[in-house]
Amino acid sequence: MSSTTVTPGRTVRKVQPIPQTRNRFELGMWLFMRYSGLALVFLALSHFWMQHVLIGTHEIEFAGTQLRWGITGQPVTVEQVIWRAYYAVMLVLAVAHGINGVRQVAYDYFGHRPAVYKGLMYVVVGIAALISLGGIAALFMGAAASGGEAALR
Amino acid sequence: MLNPLITTARESLRYKGSGQILWLLHRITGLGVVIFLGTHIFGMSMAAFNPPLHDAMLAVYKTPLFSVGEILLAACLIFHAVNGTRIAILELRPSLWDKQEVATRWSVIITLILLAPTIAIMAFKSISYYVTHGVK
Repeated sequence: MSSTTVTPGRTVRKVQPIPQTRNRFELGMWLFMRYSGLALVFLALSHFWMQHVLIGTHEIEFAGTQLRWGITGQPVTVEQVIWRAYYAVMLVLAVAHGINGVRQVAYDYFGHRPAVYKGLMYVVVGIAALISLGGIAALFMGAAASGGEAALR
Repeated sequence: MLNPLITTARESLRYKGSGQILWLLHRITGLGVVIFLGTHIFGMSMAAFNPPLHDAMLAVYKTPLFSVGEILLAACLIFHAVNGTRIAILELRPSLWDKQEVATRWSVIITLILLAPTIAIMAFKSISYYVTHGVK
């Protein structure tokens, strides 16, 4: 190993070789980011243009959401099942894509401090898991959850 | 702790090349979208678990401050989608690797083409809502 001369004022970080398993994981995530991203271009943009632009955020009401998801207490229609599947697929892909994006950013800034990086990732993954489980439950078991309260309105 | 962030900000602006600026924008817009994504999924799932809380969230969505933020969100989402498509296509197709500079330019052009009517419709709908309904 030759010694390296370090120019004063330059940051030099020691780079550890990445283990094989970690490397395979990173390749998988790299591919996932590309393919989920391409899918989300259609899913997220169609959702945003439908709900936030064409219908418009100011026209969104609780009753409309209940009807679209099929959480009114009435039997679920095919149309409502398609909406649920659309939102569920988008939710899972978006949350996973988002977590991995945050992971990469966190690694760039805190990767040299494993304790901070790991702690941050536990918090991010924990919050994301709770939110997405809640979202999926709302879509598929919303009628049972809102039950009487929804019927009263 | 903030040193790497400051270095990133300074070096990103100093480094030459449009790809570098798009990389920085991709990162910022991605973080912007992911923050909204979390609150949005939570707020919408309250339609099933806590309708009054869901209604309160919808009321927040119908305030001028949120409407401005929503236009920012549109900009973040559309840029991230278009620029992400550029990244995915170019990285998965090595035959296009000599087209990087042209691609970064088209990334910006397509973003602006999609964003202009989106902002126009959102701004028009927001303003007409606040004119007729007033600001709560």
